[in-house]
Amino acid sequence: MKHVPMKQRKDKPVPVRPPEEGKADAAFDLWLHRGLHKLFDDVADEPIPPELLRIIEEDRDK
Amino acid sequence: MSEALVFHDQVIGILPKLRVQALALTRNRAAAEDLVQDAVCNALSAQDSFIPGTNFAAWMHRILRNRFISNLRKRRDTTDIDDVPSSVFATDAPHEDRLALKELGQAMTRLPADQREALVMVVVHGMSYEALAQATGCAVGTAKSRVFRARRQLESWLLGERSERQAARPQIRAERPLDEHGALHS
Repeated sequence: MKHVPMKQRKDKPVPVRPPEEGKADAAFDLWLHRGLHKLFDDVADEPIPPELLRIIEEDRDK
Repeated sequence: MSEALVFHDQVIGILPKLRVQALALTRNRAAAEDLVQDAVCNALSAQDSFIPGTNFAAWMHRILRNRFISNLRKRRDTTDIDDVPSSVFATDAPHEDRLALKELGQAMTRLPADQREALVMVVVHGMSYEALAQATGCAVGTAKSRVFRARRQLESWLLGERSERQAARPQIRAERPLDEHGALHS
């Protein structure tokens, strides 16, 4: 089989995307991930309300 | 260790993640706490239906989600974005960061609940799409779609111009040569 160089191949059309857009997407993703952690991590770290723990423990002791 | 002892420990262990999920769904701290408590009560009532050794996290997250949907249907909740307290996502970050986070928080409240929940559970909890699908009772493709749409919508709202330019730019294709009749060369 004859080798066909990449430039001459009749490949599928390939959408060309400016390299800066890929970087911008990655930057947004990083910012979004950090932002969501800042918004929600504190909630996960807050002490569990005593009333809620009491409900669970009372059920455990039944 | 008895199965009942393990079950209650699992409930306590998952509470932080339930609180995050609840806040993502309700956008309101007080409502989130109420939702978690309601879900825990539901879970305790239904503990005999949980099969030890199966996916407890998915079971518990689905209970909370179902309770949220049930509450919505009862209340016909129409919480307007203006009713959501600005402090729902309070942060002590530096001023510039607070402004950006405030924008992000406000944009999050505008997302559909299922997209918001999906994005939070993947990003904040580090869930896989498969785990998210199990936790929310949907197909993996649906779970991926929710996360993708949430991210894309947030980018559109928060970055605006760039996203519009991206949408408007035509794709540049490596085209095959056409013959005189407009047909593609093979």
